[in-house]
Amino acid sequence: MADFIQLLVNGLAIGSVYALAAIGFVIVYSATGVVNFAAGQFVMFGTFAGVVTLINAQLPWSVAYGAALAIMALFGALFFITVYLPLRRGSIVTIIIGTVAVGIIMQNAALLSFGSWPFRLPSPLEDRVVNLGGAIISTHALGVVGVTTLMVAGLWVLFNRTSVGIGMRAVAQDLQAAKLMGLKVNRLLALSWVLAAVLAGVAGLMLGPMWFADVNMGDPIALKAFAATIIGGFGSLPGAIVGGLFVGLSEVLGASYVSSAYKDLISFGIMILFLLVRPQGVFGEKIQDRG
Amino acid sequence: MGFTRKDFLGSMIAATMLSLTGAAHGQQAEPVLIGATVPMTGPLSLTGKQYQNSLTMAEEDINKAGGINGRPIKIVFEDTQASNGTAVNAFVKLAQETKPSFFFLSSYSTQNLAVAPELKKVQVPAMYAGGADAVADGGNEWMFRIRPADSVSAEGMVKAAVDVIKAKKPGILYIQNDFGQGGAQTAAKRLEAAGIPVVGMEAYGQNDKDFSAQLLSLRSKGADTILIFNYPQDGALVLRQAKVLGFKMPLVTSSAALVPAALQLLSPADLEGVWGVTDAFMDASVGGRMKDYVERFKAKFGIDPDPYGLAYYDGAFLMAEGMRKVGTDAKALREWLAAVNGWQGIGHVYSYDAKGNGVRDLAVVKAKAGTKTLELVQPVTLN
Repeated sequence: MADFIQLLVNGLAIGSVYALAAIGFVIVYSATGVVNFAAGQFVMFGTFAGVVTLINAQLPWSVAYGAALAIMALFGALFFITVYLPLRRGSIVTIIIGTVAVGIIMQNAALLSFGSWPFRLPSPLEDRVVNLGGAIISTHALGVVGVTTLMVAGLWVLFNRTSVGIGMRAVAQDLQAAKLMGLKVNRLLALSWVLAAVLAGVAGLMLGPMWFADVNMGDPIALKAFAATIIGGFGSLPGAIVGGLFVGLSEVLGASYVSSAYKDLISFGIMILFLLVRPQGVFGEKIQDRG
Repeated sequence: MGFTRKDFLGSMIAATMLSLTGAAHGQQAEPVLIGATVPMTGPLSLTGKQYQNSLTMAEEDINKAGGINGRPIKIVFEDTQASNGTAVNAFVKLAQETKPSFFFLSSYSTQNLAVAPELKKVQVPAMYAGGADAVADGGNEWMFRIRPADSVSAEGMVKAAVDVIKAKKPGILYIQNDFGQGGAQTAAKRLEAAGIPVVGMEAYGQNDKDFSAQLLSLRSKGADTILIFNYPQDGALVLRQAKVLGFKMPLVTSSAALVPAALQLLSPADLEGVWGVTDAFMDASVGGRMKDYVERFKAKFGIDPDPYGLAYYDGAFLMAEGMRKVGTDAKALREWLAAVNGWQGIGHVYSYDAKGNGVRDLAVVKAKAGTKTLELVQPVTLN
């Protein structure tokens, strides 16, 4: 039982990170119709924003985290202006190749700036653990689950209780109608990219102490976040959360109770099963044509 | 003063002589080209950068010492990244464009296995540090290994588990590739032969970041010691996660988890209860060539050297000695290397067997309590 609790918390912590990356995926896709293939590199940039503020600049925790997320917000805005706006009238293939190319550029920029050696990003909760009935639980893992819960609650408030969030949903549903209604569409689209970048930043900052900060960390995250959105339902926020947690848990529990050699096969196998049997995912959002 | 026909002819003769002398001098100084395929970018670059550095240092040192009978060597590097395809392309590019007299290949066995058929076509001797037994078993007579084979390392880890730790119920965790699978299977066979069968074997993928399931599974199977076959970054992560999961049992890691690239990610607490084998115990305090190498490497590159890089440094000097004695003819050099017996490098004593394995010694080490400084537990030499 103790081992199961340990595995459960670990799976939830990893799943939370996948969920945040998947939410960023979904927000951008819903608003702009673009599948952001640089999403993994967004998370990697978030981790390295933490390296800059926490390790290089040696800022106190709260300031460092705030500064790292501000960097990510700025990065999201820059991405919107320099990548999305020039590409948005291109074909689907152009946009896909564009985001893939930008992801590669981001990875190489990080490699040139930080080198290939990973960094040990500290956690504000350090290496503390709690003992729950014999299960040794990392406080950082608990913190990750807690922060993700708060982020999801914050997003719910944003999208359901604020005019900005409701505007973003309106743009996602029908861009032309939103324009006719006088909404500042470009500003709301930019905000989607900023929000996706900030969510990736949060995921990256939480992931750094668990995985080390590594310029190659983006690809596996993007793959898992992609699987999460397929399983949960492309375009669905609850789907991204459920999908992320499902992938994280299936990875950890599958490795333990089925086979560690086939743990990726389990989550990706389920993803393929969904694509074959229920392509709209658990939450049934219809897959759109764009992106 | 006029410029006579005699003066003109004299100056022409002088100019011709000068140009001929220059050409002869230039030919004498023409470098011996060496090709090196190294993972300089991507996830394998953690150790790749180390042996690129050590080969660069070896190139300078060999040239300062007069090169190959007056000719300098020039090492041309190509990046293998983390892919077999890129490794093959890098090798073919060097073979076709640079046409080197000698190759240094990646220390990653999967890349060595991919490149081996191409090397056989080119027929130029090469040194490599990949540990998988499958590489040497492939029977490519042009390949010479410059570090212990995985079976040797695995045997060293078994010795640490059985002789030092007195394990009764060992478990094995391994990275799922040629290196990890080969090492794990060898260790399991050796343990079984010693009357101590493993209680469980768990694997993980090269890009995996969470090992809690595998670690907990081995603990639930009753493992009292875990042998870990890993690369630097995943090795460091495994050791950290084992501590976070509250593991108290001894852990025995393969050499990559204790190279500087991995140690910089660990705290002294992460290394409590951790034993490991390293290819060579790199202790500057022993003095001599080891001290010189360790101190100069650190001064030049700003990081501690690791045993993989040292193997390539030794290999470059072994190659240079062969070239000085028999020249750069590929077949003659291959024959010379195959006959090397008891050549004293800095990290190892090199003697080549019929499969091109040159190293049979390594060291069991452990971090001094409360520090990340490794100390020698026992040297291991295997026949």
